[in-house]
Amino acid sequence: MSGASAALIPATTTVRFSKKLEYHHPKWLSKVNDYSVSYHRIYCSSSIPSPPTSSSPNSGKDPKKNPTKKKKKDDPKETSVDSASQMVQQKEEDQELELASSVSVMKRLDEVNPVGLGRRSRQIFDEVWRKFSGLGQISRTTRSDDETDILIRDGGPMCEFAIPGAQNTVVLVVGATSRVGRIVVRKLMLRGYSVKALVRKADEGIVDLLPTSVEIVIGDVGDPETLKDAVEGCNKIIYCATARSTITGDLFRVDHMGVYNITKAFQDYNNKLAQLRAGKSSKSKLLIAKFKTEDSLHGWEVRQGTYFQDVVAAKYDGGMDAKFEFTESGEAVFSGFVFTRGGYVDLTKKLSLPLGSTLDRYEGLVFSLGGNGRSYVVILEAGPTGDMTQSKMYFSRISTKAGFCRVRVPFSSFRPVKPDDPPLDPFLVHTLTIRFEPRRQRSFEGVNGPNQDLRSFQLILEYVKALPTGQETDFILVSCTGSGIEPSRRDQVLKAKKAGEDSLRRSGLGYTIIRPGPLVEEPGGQRALIFDQGNRISQGISCADVADICVKALHDSTARNKSFDVCYEYVAEPGKELYELVAHLPDKANNYLTPALSVLEKNT
Amino acid sequence: MASSTSTLKLNLHLQQPNNRNPSSAQYSNLSWRRTLAISSLLCSTPSLITSKGDGKDRNLVVKCNAAATTAAVNLAPGTPVRPTSILVVGATGTLGRQIVRRALDEGYDVRCLVRPRPAPADFLRDWGATVVNADLSRPETIPATLVGIHTVIDCATGRPEEPIKTVDWEGKVALIQCAKAMGVQKYVFFSIHNCDKHPEVPLMEIKYCTEKFLNDSGLNHITIRLCGFMQGLIGQYAVPILEEKSVWGTDAPTRIAYMDTQDIARLTFIALRNENINRKLLTFAGPRAWTTQEVITLCERLAGQDANVTTVPVSILRFTRQLTRLFEWTSDVADRLAFSEVLSSDIVFSVPMTETYSLLGVDSKDVVSLEKYLQDYFTNILKKLKDLKAQSKQTDIFF
Repeated sequence: MSGASAALIPATTTVRFSKKLEYHHPKWLSKVNDYSVSYHRIYCSSSIPSPPTSSSPNSGKDPKKNPTKKKKKDDPKETSVDSASQMVQQKEEDQELELASSVSVMKRLDEVNPVGLGRRSRQIFDEVWRKFSGLGQISRTTRSDDETDILIRDGGPMCEFAIPGAQNTVVLVVGATSRVGRIVVRKLMLRGYSVKALVRKADEGIVDLLPTSVEIVIGDVGDPETLKDAVEGCNKIIYCATARSTITGDLFRVDHMGVYNITKAFQDYNNKLAQLRAGKSSKSKLLIAKFKTEDSLHGWEVRQGTYFQDVVAAKYDGGMDAKFEFTESGEAVFSGFVFTRGGYVDLTKKLSLPLGSTLDRYEGLVFSLGGNGRSYVVILEAGPTGDMTQSKMYFSRISTKAGFCRVRVPFSSFRPVKPDDPPLDPFLVHTLTIRFEPRRQRSFEGVNGPNQDLRSFQLILEYVKALPTGQETDFILVSCTGSGIEPSRRDQVLKAKKAGEDSLRRSGLGYTIIRPGPLVEEPGGQRALIFDQGNRISQGISCADVADICVKALHDSTARNKSFDVCYEYVAEPGKELYELVAHLPDKANNYLTPALSVLEKNT
Repeated sequence: MASSTSTLKLNLHLQQPNNRNPSSAQYSNLSWRRTLAISSLLCSTPSLITSKGDGKDRNLVVKCNAAATTAAVNLAPGTPVRPTSILVVGATGTLGRQIVRRALDEGYDVRCLVRPRPAPADFLRDWGATVVNADLSRPETIPATLVGIHTVIDCATGRPEEPIKTVDWEGKVALIQCAKAMGVQKYVFFSIHNCDKHPEVPLMEIKYCTEKFLNDSGLNHITIRLCGFMQGLIGQYAVPILEEKSVWGTDAPTRIAYMDTQDIARLTFIALRNENINRKLLTFAGPRAWTTQEVITLCERLAGQDANVTTVPVSILRFTRQLTRLFEWTSDVADRLAFSEVLSSDIVFSVPMTETYSLLGVDSKDVVSLEKYLQDYFTNILKKLKDLKAQSKQTDIFF
C-alpha cells in the first residue's frame, strides 16, 4: 500500500517518507542523502516494512496532499523540515530524469542491507540446524497449526472419521446432553458435520459439556414456538431426548409431543424453503385422496369380479356385494361380503394428481385406514393414459390391524400381475384399486375371537397419500424397547414412545427408529450387536454403540424408513432361537450397519 | 476427609523440587543422572532413589513412596468413578490427539491435561473433550486434574526445545505418584522400543526408568513401547518433497517399523479394556521396518517427483553430538542428538507382532502399512492441490 503510493505520487509524499525514515534511521539518511530520492522510494517500498503506526496516518493524508501541488513548497516549511530532507527534495526535483540510472545503485545498496542479510542467514541456519538436529532425534514432531488444519480439520488424510458429504450437512441433535446425545455430538464433530444442539437452558455446565463450535439453540420440544429457530438450516435431525421421569405428563410432553412438534417444525421449514424456490418441498407428502366429506367419495367406484369362472359352483355361491358410503359419523366405509369362491370386490379410482406432480418423485403410498385386521390388495394400473389397452397391473398385499393404522406401501413392493411385465414405473400410474378377496385372510385376536366370518369386511378409509422419495433418512429417533424399565410404568413409557414413533412415521420424513435395549454406560465397539425387529431382544447396549448407529445411519440408504431393535449379542435360550438375528461387531473401519439393516424390513 | 489430607501431603512433597536450587542441575554427560538423584527430593524418604552398582548395570533403583499411601485410597465413599472417564496427558501431540479422537469416538468422557498457554488447544474442545490446564513441571497443578478419573493415558513427551528432564522425568514421577495417591485405577504409559538397551540416550533412559517407577508404584498399569510414527514422516519427508525443498536423511542402516498413530490408538483402547493385559509390557510395531533411504524412495515414487536429498552421514551427527557435549550451554542440543548413537548401530526397531495381535484379538490386516498410509496421503494432497489450482483459476473471472 505505502509502496504503491510512494512510487506513483511524486514530490510531496516522497519527502514525507524520507522524513519518517530519518526519524527511524537518522544515521542512514545523513549518509545516504547524496544518492537520489528514488533510493528512499524503494527503500520504503520493499526492504523495511515501516511500522503501521507511522504508515497509516501518512496514507490517510496522501489523497489530501496529492491534488494540491501548489502546496508542495509550503509543505516542508509547515512541517519543520531539517537540512537532510530539504536536500533530498532539491535533489529529487533536479534528478527526476535520472531515475533510471540511480535505480541500479540503490538496488545494490539494498542487497547490502546488513539487517536483512543477517535475518536471512539466521533463517537459513535455523532451518538447516532444525533439519540436522531432527535427524538425531527419536521421531518427535512439532507441528505448526496450519499443518494441523490440513491434516485433521479439513478431512485430511489423518481424519479417519471424516465422511464425504459431512461438511455440507447440518445435524440438529435434540437432547444433546443426554447419555447418547453427548456421544452423538462428539462423533458428529469428529466426522466434520456442522452440529446444532437443542438444549433447554444454556447453563454454563451444559455449554461446557458440548464442543465449542456446536451451535447451541435454546428451546423445548414441548413448546413448538421455540423449535422454529432450532430446525432452521438443518438437513437432518437426531432425536435422543427422553423424558426425565416416568410421569405421564413428562412422557407425553417429550416422548410423544416432542417428536411430533419437531417433525412438524422441520416439515414447516422444508415447506417454507420450497416456497422460496416456488416449488413444493421434496420432503412433503402428496395427497391422493382424502375422505372427509361426502363429495370426496366421488370418482370411486365399486366393482366385482372372480379370478376364474366355475359355472357349477357359482350357482351355489352366496354371491358378493360391496358398497362404499359416507356414514353419518363422518367416515368413508367400504364394506361388504364375498361368498363366491375366487371372487373379489374392488374399490377403484382414476387418479388425478395436482398439476406438475408425478408419482415418480414419490417412493410409495401411505394409507390411513381402519381395516379390522383384514388384508387387502392394492392394485396400480400403469400405462400411457391415451391408450388404456396397454395398461399393466401391479399388486401389493397390505394387512391391517384392529382399529386404525397407517400402512406404508413402497412402489418397490408392487409386482406385476403378469410376471413378464416390466417393473412398475410410478410415472405411468393412472388408476388405484383397493381389492378385498376372501383368500388368505387370517383371523385376528379381536373382540369376536375366532368366530369371525373371514369373507365379510369393513374398511374405513381416511386418506391415501404418496410418500416423498429420498435416499437417506431425515430423522433418527432413539426410542426404547421397554426392557429395563420398571414394570409398573413400562406400559405408559411404551405408549408415549410408540405415539412418538407413529407421529414420525406419519410425517413423511425419511425416518430411522432405533430401539436399543437398556443403555449401559461403557465404551462402544466391544461386543457384537444384534439387529432385530419384533421386540424380542433381551440384552443391554452401550450408549456409544447407539450413538455410532445414529451417526452411521445418517447417510445409509438401507436405514431409511426402518425401525429396529438393537442390543448386545447373546445366546438365545433353547427353544427360543431367533433365526433372523444377525450379529455384527461394530468397528470404525467396517460398515456393519448396511448388511445388518438390509435384511430388515422397511416401512416398519 | 482423610483423602483430602493425603492429597495435601502429596502436594507438599511435590512442591519440594520447586524449592531446590536450580543451579545444582548442571548439565554434563552425566547430568541427567544426577538430576535423577536430585529428584529424590521429590519423594519424602531419601532411600527412594539410590544409586547402586556402576558401569553398564542399570544404576538406578526406582521405588515409589506412593505405595505407602495406599491406605489413603478408597477412603472417600462418594460417587463411584465412571469407567469411561479418562485423562489424556499430552493430548496435543501426534499420538495424543489420535488417542483423544479415538476415545471420544468410542464413547469415553475425555479430559485433556494441557499446559496453560496463550493459544489454547481449541481443537480438543471442538471434538468434545474437556480441557484442563496443568503443567507437569509444576506438580501442584496436577491433583485437581485427576479428580474423578478412572484411567490416565500418558502420551506426553517434552518438547524438543525444553530440558528433557522437567517433563519427562520429574513431571511423570509427580503424575504417577499423584495418580496412585488419588486412586486412579489404570495408568497407560507410552514408552520407546528398546529403551532398556540404550541408556546413553537420555530420553530412552528416562522412559525406561519411568517404566520401572510405574511398575514399582503398585498402580494398575499397561506399558506400551512404540517404534515410530508414520505421521512423523509426513513433515520430515513428504511435505519437503511436495514443496520441492531439500530432504535431509541419514545413511544410517537402522530400520524402524513405523506405525500409524491411529492404529496405535485403536490397539491401545483394546488393550485398555482387556483385564488380562494389566501390568504387562506391550510393544507395538508397524508391519515392516524401513530405513530412511527406503522411506525417501517410497515418497519420491508416490509423489511422482524426485527429492532433493541431502544425506548426512551418521558419523557427522555423532561428531556434532560429541562436540556439543563439551559445552554446558549446548548440552540440551547434545541430549537431542543423542539418538544418533542409536542410529549408528545396525539395529532394527521392530518386533514380531503376531503374539500381540492374538492377545488383543486384532486382525493383522487391519493395521495400516506405510505404503498404504503414504499413498493415501499423497492422493489426498495431490487432489487437494489440484482443487486449489482449479479454484484459483475460477477466481480470475470478473463480472
